[in-house]
Amino acid sequence: MRDRKRFGHYLILAFVAVAVIIYITPIYWILATSLKGFADITTKLPKFVFKVSLENYQKLMPSEGVPDVTHIFLVEVLVGLLLFGFFTLFKGKLPRAVSLRNLGLIWNGIFVLTCLYSFLTLSPLQTRLQTDARFNFPLLIICTVIAYLLMAPFKKTNGITSQTVKKQRLVFVLPSVFGTIAICVALANGGSKYFYQLLNSIIIGGGSTILAVGLGTLAAYAFSRFDIAGKDDLLFFILSTRMLPPVVVVIPIYLMYSALGLRDTHFGLILLYTTFNVSFAVWLMKGFIDEIPKEYEDAALVDGYSRFQTFLKVILPQSVTGIAATAVFCLITAWNEFAFALVLTEVGGRAVTAPPSITSATGSSGMDWGKIAAGTFVFLLPVAVFTFLMRSHLLRGVTFGAVKK
Amino acid sequence: MKSVRISLVLALILALAFVSAPKADNHQSQSLTIVWAEWDPANYLQELSKDFTAETGIAVDVIQIPWPNFQDKVFTAFVGKSDLYDIVIGDSQWLGRNSQGKNYINLTDWINENIDVASIYGPAMTAFAEYPKGSGTYWALPAEVDAAGYVYRKDLFEDPNEMKAFQAKYGYALAPPKTYDQLRDIAEFFTRPDQDLYGIATWYSKEYDGITMGFQQVMWSFGGAYGDPENYKVDGYINTEDAAKALEFYTDLLKFSPPDAPNYYWAETLNAYNSGKVAMAMNYFAFFPAVINPEVNKISHDKSGFFIAPAGPKGHYISIGGQGMSISSYSKNKDLAKQYMKWFMQKPVQEKWAMLGGFTPHKEVLQSDTFKTATPFNEAFAASFPYLRDFWAVPEYAELLETCQTNWSQAISGIKSAKEALNAIARKHEEIFEDAGYYDE
Amino acid sequence: MASLLAAFINNMQTTPPFPRVKTQTSRGMSDYQLKMAFIMPTMILLILMNIFPLLWSLYLSFHRYKASMPTPPKFIGVRNYSRLLADPEIWGYFQTTAYFVLLAVAAQFFIGFGLALLLNRDFRYKGFVTTMLLLPMMLSPVVVGLFWRFILSSDNAGLLNYFLSPFLKSPIGWTTNPKVAMLAVVIVDTWMWSPFMMLIALAGLSAVPKSLYEAADVDRASAWFKFRWITLPLVSPLLLIALLFRTMDAFKMFDIVYVLTREGGPGTATETVSMNLYKLAFRNYNTGKACAMAYILLIIIVALSNIYVKYLNRVKGEA
Repeated sequence: MRDRKRFGHYLILAFVAVAVIIYITPIYWILATSLKGFADITTKLPKFVFKVSLENYQKLMPSEGVPDVTHIFLVEVLVGLLLFGFFTLFKGKLPRAVSLRNLGLIWNGIFVLTCLYSFLTLSPLQTRLQTDARFNFPLLIICTVIAYLLMAPFKKTNGITSQTVKKQRLVFVLPSVFGTIAICVALANGGSKYFYQLLNSIIIGGGSTILAVGLGTLAAYAFSRFDIAGKDDLLFFILSTRMLPPVVVVIPIYLMYSALGLRDTHFGLILLYTTFNVSFAVWLMKGFIDEIPKEYEDAALVDGYSRFQTFLKVILPQSVTGIAATAVFCLITAWNEFAFALVLTEVGGRAVTAPPSITSATGSSGMDWGKIAAGTFVFLLPVAVFTFLMRSHLLRGVTFGAVKK
Repeated sequence: MKSVRISLVLALILALAFVSAPKADNHQSQSLTIVWAEWDPANYLQELSKDFTAETGIAVDVIQIPWPNFQDKVFTAFVGKSDLYDIVIGDSQWLGRNSQGKNYINLTDWINENIDVASIYGPAMTAFAEYPKGSGTYWALPAEVDAAGYVYRKDLFEDPNEMKAFQAKYGYALAPPKTYDQLRDIAEFFTRPDQDLYGIATWYSKEYDGITMGFQQVMWSFGGAYGDPENYKVDGYINTEDAAKALEFYTDLLKFSPPDAPNYYWAETLNAYNSGKVAMAMNYFAFFPAVINPEVNKISHDKSGFFIAPAGPKGHYISIGGQGMSISSYSKNKDLAKQYMKWFMQKPVQEKWAMLGGFTPHKEVLQSDTFKTATPFNEAFAASFPYLRDFWAVPEYAELLETCQTNWSQAISGIKSAKEALNAIARKHEEIFEDAGYYDE
Repeated sequence: MASLLAAFINNMQTTPPFPRVKTQTSRGMSDYQLKMAFIMPTMILLILMNIFPLLWSLYLSFHRYKASMPTPPKFIGVRNYSRLLADPEIWGYFQTTAYFVLLAVAAQFFIGFGLALLLNRDFRYKGFVTTMLLLPMMLSPVVVGLFWRFILSSDNAGLLNYFLSPFLKSPIGWTTNPKVAMLAVVIVDTWMWSPFMMLIALAGLSAVPKSLYEAADVDRASAWFKFRWITLPLVSPLLLIALLFRTMDAFKMFDIVYVLTREGGPGTATETVSMNLYKLAFRNYNTGKACAMAYILLIIIVALSNIYVKYLNRVKGEA
């Protein structure tokens, strides 16, 4: 009886393994195709053993060569991720001198220095991509400095509790994210159309996420804590805007944007994606804020804080996890969006994002599946990373916070 | 302490913002944006334009839109009044729509004053520049003249064993086909799925104008027609026995095509030919540089021959390709655009254009021997000229095209019979013409 | 521990609201002002970017209007609607869509629920395995859909046909044969979204108290009995939520058919309403007619979600 049960258990695990293989195969195939040479792709039967070639990825790079600064950033990102992994594996087993704080400070200093260096060497743009298609390094450096400041509170404490260690690892994660963006900027400035579009996706996705989460958190707090006439109806109305098919809404939006000159602008797309994400953010954030005990606020109010101060000092710090999860979901939605981007951006335009570009890039002499696969894979990578980071919040995210774990 | 830090950072940000601000402006040098489809001729144009930049200092950027989206993207830009594109190199069918929709500027006076119209190949001027036809009103200058044609595997066609076997089976010599019946025989002959070899690859795709451009030449050659260009009657022209026979013939060719053929557009057709899958392939001549490019075609780049589209039982017609250069009415650089077009039409530039691989509309250059021998396919291309015909160029062409695409795609995939599909097109086309007021008077 | 806090509708009653406090004017904003300042930006944004455009398109749906032509809209009453509703081809697209929704949602339901039943046990690396399975759901349908065109091809290196080749005489024309093209779209959609079903079903399954099963074991109940009378009733409200989401999403199907089967081919075999609507609006620029069709689609989706919500309430009432 016991053996039979154990056998059943292993049988089921075998089934699970098969399922994982089936679900992962298409993604693996994208990776494999992107690493194949042209001759290995057009064979009659799929080839599983092949010579790895990076030619497809080279097609995504600027035709005039990769700027030096890209390599420096790449090394930094890799080192950052390695350090992150190192500290995750060996937490608590290291001598005090090799603390997160010291390493983090040194590494961050190097990162900021690189940004300055790239600003000095690359800012006179070496090639022009398109009339309006330019990015400035200063913008990036500003972002970096802001990020650096945001991390200041984490750097002050010594890693004692596991919670702070977790937060301190952001010292490596945030500059890694900015380093990746810096690579995109360098490559786009070098003349790569692909990375220009990726950068557009980052800007539009990032901008709309910040706005949507900001607005959503405010509204969610109000919905969670105040008495509002017709609250249920309002919440339902907010949800319903998200349910509309994009093709239905895009017709009038297209006419409106054409009249206002908002088509193919970053602002226009940010505004639109904010609208679609804000309903989601309200719902998700309301769930998170509902979970914060009301007593915390009451105590603060008694201490003489105003309601707004309470919101800033009690609610916001308590809902950092929720905000992060909501932000990641908004980011992914905007990152993946296709129908609006298809109609509201121009080919070769200022604000064209990656999805409509990747799906229409065939190549000028026949379908170039290798290049498509390479472009697809680079595009999917950040989403895959975020999926793993966010896995404990996935359930909540996909159900508008209706189902909690 | 904290406030000191914040103010320091703010100062830094402001300083950086100031440093970065002037940089946005030093790229204000003049530039021109041309939009075309994604194919080799656009690369040649970008190359050619370097001379223009060298002469005038005006930068030229040729944006390439992938063919399946070409029409949609250009029109969403036009209707959205985008000023991104200065010069649009658009299909001949677009003329009606873009002239009536006021997307192109009227170039009649400018062309008569600045361009020697007599030096341009006449039919190209009519097809790519004039609307309504015969009115003498010009909306464009021809940029690229093109026609549908065929490429075939010389090594297969000239293999003695193959020739013997073909002679024995069909009773005539194996050679590039002159009629559609011969085309079918040859396609059948070379169809050997066990060797991963098929007879023919031609356009069946539902994207943009795929199946229409592939099929219409067969339809015309079999005796069908889109309608009467005088009174816009469609019923009785497109749904005749002849047209149905043509559609059945075209569907039948699928038997001799690779399994994925119903999805074939220019790219897939090229891929099939270049990977050695088919003996013959239909495509526009302007795509053929990829066939003789050893980088892309590793199998048969030096073993390819070219022939013009065959004749049918009731005539010989070939789908016209090619585009005219027009100026967008939303452009902010109309004068620069005119300057560019005037430069482009000069004979030396046209000679270089032809040398790079562009299909020049310049009469003398086009008919010169240097042009005919410049590539292996130029001769077959030049031989196609007398047979060229076009789709409707009326403002409603997009709807007409969409109807054809849908119904013909249904017919070749067996959802509708040939007759049903053609009747549906006739009904829908007349409905579109009626809505647009063509029958009013 | 998954608490099925409020399927959807009752989500709002989790915390009691604050009592109204009006005596805080001295310390910054009053509660009322704060409330308004917090809610208004969102509401204004939604009204500007959603309600106003929808009203505009409602207006246009009663007019003959082509955005591509300079002629202004001309009022023609309900002619756009009557013509659409009388057009058998349009009904054909609705049928295609309904067929797709039915097939796709059913496949996702059974596969997703099946996977959840498999995964509902403890084993090493469970979190990792689950996340791997969930990956397809997070990816961009249009980008992945394009690559599926390559995987489903019957010409060069088509992966699926290769795996199926021992069982088949000739390769299946996934995207060329009108009889199986819909199946191809369903396969891709199911690959993407059955993990969604799985995720929600898993949450439901892990919430079922173990004691119930133990009690049933004491009674020597059969596996089927346990499944039918313990598992299913407790999981069904969550499954219904998942079904609701998927149905509404599947109804909008546009991305995958746009790239995978080239705008709904072969023929019209996979041309969904959204796909046709896109062509009507952005190829033919029949703007008036397209707005009318958008409204028909909208009404159907609203009706559909209402039916679901009602059913959901009934199930919850019984539970």
